Amino acid sequence: MKKSDRKFKVVVIGGSAGSFSVVSKILSQLDPEFPVPLVLCLHRLKHVRSGLVEGLNLKSRIPVVEPFDKEKLKPGVAMLAPSNYHLFVEFDSTISLSTEEVYNHSRPAIDFAYSSAAYAFREKTLGIILTGANKDGARGLKGIKDKKGYTIVQDPSTCDVETMPQSALKLFEPDQILTPDEIVKVLNSLVG
Amino acid sequence: MNSCGVMTYKEYLRVLKQHSPYDFSDYSDNSIYRRIDKVMRDQEVTLEQLCERTRHDKDFVEQVVEAITVNTTELFRDPAVWKYLFEKHLPSLSGNNFINVWHAGCSTGQEVYSLLILFNELGLLDKVRVFATDISRNALDVARKGVYQNQIDRGCIENFNTVFDITSGDKTTFLNYFDVDEKHDRISVKPFLKEKIKFIRHDLVKNDVPFYNKVDVVFCRNVLIYFNVNLQNRIVQRFHEGLYNNGTLVLGAHEGLSGFFKTKFDRQGPVYRKSNVFHLRY
Repeated sequence: MKKSDRKFKVVVIGGSAGSFSVVSKILSQLDPEFPVPLVLCLHRLKHVRSGLVEGLNLKSRIPVVEPFDKEKLKPGVAMLAPSNYHLFVEFDSTISLSTEEVYNHSRPAIDFAYSSAAYAFREKTLGIILTGANKDGARGLKGIKDKKGYTIVQDPSTCDVETMPQSALKLFEPDQILTPDEIVKVLNSLVG
Repeated sequence: MNSCGVMTYKEYLRVLKQHSPYDFSDYSDNSIYRRIDKVMRDQEVTLEQLCERTRHDKDFVEQVVEAITVNTTELFRDPAVWKYLFEKHLPSLSGNNFINVWHAGCSTGQEVYSLLILFNELGLLDKVRVFATDISRNALDVARKGVYQNQIDRGCIENFNTVFDITSGDKTTFLNYFDVDEKHDRISVKPFLKEKIKFIRHDLVKNDVPFYNKVDVVFCRNVLIYFNVNLQNRIVQRFHEGLYNNGTLVLGAHEGLSGFFKTKFDRQGPVYRKSNVFHLRY
């Protein structure tokens, strides 16, 4: 990536089935000086409403929080979409939440997180889609690509469930298709 | 207004404000844009056409407002909050002679009934009077009927049992409050709960409050998230004025008070209490 050309304003990672261990791995290897706000939009079991943020914090080298509505994005802080809410990235770098209808059978819907970030930050958005058993996220990630943002799809051969990355690949050609280790390298290259 | 060229959502909102009693200009950008976009897709119209019909067709305006304001709610959403209210918070109101509740933005009413069930389990239902308000006529109609589809599938009985520490699968307590038709996944609220509530159509954005009483509890969950911070603060100010001192404000699990208002309420677990003491510790 020609990182010198861009200063990303947000990194949005979406994932579903099997993504907990991948996200956990990424966070555990991330440079503690990671300079960009990170948004995590992960499908989660509706009736298991707690524990995910604690689980991710165990190994993460940057703080992981579940944001309140209108909270500001912060460099080097990962904001995890709260259970049972949609999450949107706004123009003024705040998060807004919503309880409107489930979308793609999901709340949070990854498409909403991606497309709102693309709308707000255009080419300064980096979107990453991970393993998952759903087509949620594919259209939103394409939205990031359409706005000239940077898009990464997890290499399907490294996914527990490859439906989600495959749906994205069917829709458009991302900038990169990477293993989790390579994704970590790209993210850490944003430091300094 | 613009008669030609490309319209923006903001301009549409100005037209709507001019030609109807509704003002959405302080809704959060992202949510309002998305909703209007959906209306345009569903009605297969451009923004200009939407605008034209808004100027001339009052029934159409009502349809648009319904589509913009529709929200989902469920029985005992976020069981941990309800459990806290039941065990730690609402018992503190048992010394009151009466308990006035304003449920602002009640939508289809599931959480109004959830709250009444807590009061009944605490033996306080006789003292309770509820004013439940919402902008949406359709939502209020559903709320008044108290008949809900597909709630069992979404786990309403498990949520209920979690709140009251009832063994999973045991439906006896739930059946005190609802007639259940499992085959069609339909539940109906029993009349003794419904009669405690006065449902009133009211636009929270407007300054008036549609009743005179001060209240002990304001319930407003996952409504303020659709508004920008200015409007949020205006509405919280009204809640503050409407509450008795030490009164309770319950917001959504991921909603908070901003700026100055943090100093006008005390936080207790997931709820806020009106305070006349000025706090600087935040």
